[in-house]
Formats: sequence, C-alpha cells, structure tokens
Amino acid sequence: MMAEATPLLDVESLSIRFGPSAPALVDNLSFSLKPGETLCLVGESGCGKSLTALALMGLLPTRAQPSGRARFEGRDLLTLPARQMQDLRGDRMAMIFQEPMTSLNPAFRIGDQIGESIVRHRGASRSEARKLALDMLRKVRIPAAEKRLDAYPHQLSGGMRQRIMIAVALVNEPDLLIADEPTTALDVTIQAQILALMRELQRAAGMAMILVTHDLGVVAEVADRVAVMYAGRIVETGTARDLFDDPQHPYTLGLIGSLPSLGRREGRLATIPGSVPPPDRFPAGCRFATRCPFADARCWTETPPLTGIGAAGHRAACFKAPIEANAGGLAA
Amino acid sequence: MWSLILNRILVAVPTLLLVTLFVFALQRLLPGDPLLTMAGEERDPAVLEHLRHLYGFDRPLPVQFVIWLREVAAGNFGASLRTGEPVLKLIGQTLPVTVQLATASILIAMLIGIPMGVLSAVRKGSWVDYLANIISLTGLSIPHFWLGIILILVVSVELQWLPASGYASVFDDPVRALQTTIMPAFVLGSGLAATLMRHTRSAMLEVLGLDYIRTARAKGLLPRAVILKHAFRNALVPIVTLSTLLFGQLLAGAVLTEQVFTIPGFGKLIVDAVFNRDYGVVQGVVLCTAIAFIGLNLFADVLYILTNPRMRS
Repeated sequence: MMAEATPLLDVESLSIRFGPSAPALVDNLSFSLKPGETLCLVGESGCGKSLTALALMGLLPTRAQPSGRARFEGRDLLTLPARQMQDLRGDRMAMIFQEPMTSLNPAFRIGDQIGESIVRHRGASRSEARKLALDMLRKVRIPAAEKRLDAYPHQLSGGMRQRIMIAVALVNEPDLLIADEPTTALDVTIQAQILALMRELQRAAGMAMILVTHDLGVVAEVADRVAVMYAGRIVETGTARDLFDDPQHPYTLGLIGSLPSLGRREGRLATIPGSVPPPDRFPAGCRFATRCPFADARCWTETPPLTGIGAAGHRAACFKAPIEANAGGLAA
Repeated sequence: MWSLILNRILVAVPTLLLVTLFVFALQRLLPGDPLLTMAGEERDPAVLEHLRHLYGFDRPLPVQFVIWLREVAAGNFGASLRTGEPVLKLIGQTLPVTVQLATASILIAMLIGIPMGVLSAVRKGSWVDYLANIISLTGLSIPHFWLGIILILVVSVELQWLPASGYASVFDDPVRALQTTIMPAFVLGSGLAATLMRHTRSAMLEVLGLDYIRTARAKGLLPRAVILKHAFRNALVPIVTLSTLLFGQLLAGAVLTEQVFTIPGFGKLIVDAVFNRDYGVVQGVVLCTAIAFIGLNLFADVLYILTNPRMRS
C-alpha cells in the first residue's frame, strides 16, 4: 500500500452541465481513491453516477461541460489534451460498461478486439498481441479460449461477452478500472460470477476500482468505501461498514430500508416516497428535500455541506445528521 | 448462404415470367404495326398477309407468347424485325458498352459520395457537413442530360479537352476509353454520389452513436481508427448493398446520358427498339435487364452476408 498522502485519483468539485445555464447534473463532486481501493458510487438511475464515470474517462458527449479537477497520477483528466487522454485510456485507466450485448463490435473477432488495445498501447506485433489476448481470455475463464479467439461477439452469451469486456479493459493492467453497472444486464447467477472474477483480478493486480451501481447487494460485497449519490450530489460517504451499520443521510436510510432481508417478513418493504425531480425543478437547497420526511424550511433553501460524523471519513450532507440526535427518532 | 442462392433462383423464374408477360402485353397494346414499314409503299394486303403469317403475328397472342418462351428456353432470342440481326448479337454488342459506363459511374459515385458522407457524419453540424449537403443536393437536383450538354459545351467544344461523343472499349484502347467514358460517367456518377453520400452519412451517424464505438474510444484508440475501422466497417454493410442496387439501375437507366453522348449502349438499343416496334429486341432486352437486376439483387444479398459476421453462421 502506498502512503495515505498520495491518492491515485483525486476528484475535486467536479460539476457537469449541458449548457451554461442548465442545472448541474453532477454538482460539486469530491472524492479520492487510493491505489488498490474499491469505491462504489451508489444511487438510482439519473443521479449522475454514469456521467461521473464517463467524465473521468473523457468520454462525455461533446455537449457536456465538465468543470472542477480530477487528478489521476498527477494529471488533471478534465484538462488533459485529447491525445494524452487517448494514451491514458485503455492503458492506465480502463472502463467496463453496462451492456455487454452491444459493447463489442459485431464485425471483428474477439481476439482482435482484445489485441487491438495491446497493439495500440504496447506497440506489440499482431502475433504477440494474439498470444496476450489468449492469456487474457484464460484469465477471465473463457472456456475453450483458443477457439473463442476467432469467435465473433454474436456467438457468445451475455455473461461471456462481459468477461470479454473485462479482458479488453484489463489487458494492459490499468491502475484504475471504472465499471459502470457491469452486472446489471446479466442473470443473477452470472452477476455473482462476474463480480467474483472482477474482485479476484483486482486483488491480483492491485488495481483500484470505481464501481458504479444501484445495487446495494453488490456494494456490500465489494466496496471498501461508498459514496451515495442523489440528484448529482454525494449525500453520504464512508466505509461500507459505516453506511450499512450507521446510515446518517435520510436517503441512505431509505435505500437500506428498502432492501429485502432474510428471515421473517414483517409488513411491506419500505420505499422512498415520490421520485427524483427533473433537473430544472431541483430545490435550491438540499435536493432530497422534496422526498425527505425530516425536511424543514432550511433544507429547502440552503445546501447542506458534507460534514464528518462519527467514524473518521464518514460524512453526510444533511443538517439533521446525526439523525438520532436531531430528528428524535423516526418521523411518523 | 447456398440455400439462399438456390431460393432466389427459384423465385426468379416466376418473376421473369411475369416481367416478360407484362412487357409482351404492353407492347402489343401500343398502336403501330412493324410490318407496315416492311410491306413497302404499296402495302399490298397479300404481302402483309404473307408477312403476318411468316412472323406468326396471325396467331392468337397467348400462342405467340408461348412460342417465344419456348424459343428463348432453347436459347433462340429471335432476330430484329428491322435489321434481321439476331437479338443476342445486338445485346452482346451493346451490353458491354453500358456495363463499362455503369462501372465507371458507380466508381466515381463511390469515390465522391462515400468519403463525403463519412466526413459530414464525423463533422456533423460543422461547415464541412453543410457544404457536403449543399453539394449533394445540387448533384441530386441537376438533370443528367442538362449537365451532360453543359459539359460537352464547356469541356469538348470550348476547351476541346475531351471528345464530345463516341465509345471505345477499355480492353481495346484504354486511353480512348477513359477519354470517352469520363464525362458521361461523371454525369451519371454525380447524381448517384449524392444518394450514396446521404446514405453513408446516416449509416455513419447511426453507428457512431452505438455502444461499441464508446468501447473503441475507451480503449484509447485514435479517432482515425475509431472512425475508419470500427465505425466505417459496420456502416459499409448498407453502403455496399445500395451501391450494387444503384449499379443495376445504371444498366437500364443510362438512356438519356447515352443519347446525349451518343454512346451505342443498352439504353439506346431499348429506345430504338421501342420506337420501331421491334418486338423481339424489346422482349430480349427486357428479359436481359430483368435477369441482370435479379442477379445484382442476389449479389447484394451475398455481399451483405459476407460483410456481416452475424449472418454467416
């Protein structure tokens, strides 16, 4: 492990807008990541977690306007010239996407799609690349790897294709892997296999990972640290243990409360009332105010800062935190 | 794939029958009798009667059609009523002329249309895109025969750079072939280039928005590789299909341009035959065109399968 002082990735006040007067879809995001660490970005769809991931990779649509800083190995990803960003992508940092069915090019063989990245970044010959691609296929446990090298994507199942995507991403041994809902599109049994595989490869390579997900089960399984996002902002962050044992933001409480548990069922599963407001109707203050059972006048007008509570590194953006002391138990 | 080819050939038979029947019927509905000219000034009824009997025109139409079919099946396409030359010989003389012109035209269309389409898709909304759109609209709007006449006036008459008309086979005299083919091919190709450009542009735009393009960029590939390898390779599938079909259109559709440049091609043969009520020639030419069309369609399907791995297995 490296020293605490040198994070691999340090994101500071990242905001993303589509147009200068449009509301920030990602608002003032700050977090950092140590080498080898796993950070989960959690939240419902539309909360800005995928945008954040794409911004770090420099893959935002051209209309998007990111601001802030994202220092990766000493360089700011948001201002890096396009050519240098292309050199980083697929080499020092890589990404896996949600849709394995459409993320591979239907016109090219699997081996070529993995090898291409090696040729691009390592300057390897085609035969060397083929050999490395074969190694990689074995690492992601593709059965009959040698044969699959010459297969086309349509000949493989979704789970197999996601393994191929992992192979494509990891072939150059990146320092950072960004995985955007990598298991969402897969069957539940395959999900667990893919997660386990990612964990294993991550440990073996000492690689850091940002895992974007809406699935708290996934979080509990892999996260070192968690950042819960709501409507473009981080509302709570801490270790996975902090969040599951002692959630402090009402949104996190709601998320955890809506998880089904083993054992006796008592009543209905809790849900969070209402839905995320559209960006042009975000409240001026806390964006969760429209759905929060504890919200008062101040919450609507003032944005609560992320402040430390309890354990070191556990922070929540809520005026009511710690919630037991300030809200006096659960509101009716 | 072989089952597809076999299937197509089986379907082609009724198609060809219908096409020839249709043309046969339409022709006989047209006013005018080719035998009147043959019978000379006097139009002696006895001579006319003799000619009718000689050519079989005195028999019922369905019988005539069946006789024609039987002869064609045996490889006999008959002879021209006007010149007495065998229909197959006439087709053999004119088809290569038109194929040469059509090939040059489609090459020019692809050379202009495809790069322009790719460029305007990649630079969507920029001045390059607008310029390409203006050029393509212009290409679509200008009538072929008019462009041909203007080109002849400027390039041949004024500048005297190229001959205004004529034909030479590329196998006999490549230089002369190039000189005589380039202008009419440009006239035909410019219109098709516009069509190809629009289709290339939309195919590229569609592909560029797909997930695997994002994957290609995430690998750190340079924009050139993302566009020309990952995107273009997939956009190529519809473009190839379209080009093949356009080529088929050219075979039968170069009539006006062939007239303007006095090229002794297929189009000219059809027009002359129709005007002369030269039944056998029209029938043979139409059958030939229909076979070419069906063949090219099949060729397009085969190309589609070959360029599309998902279809191969």
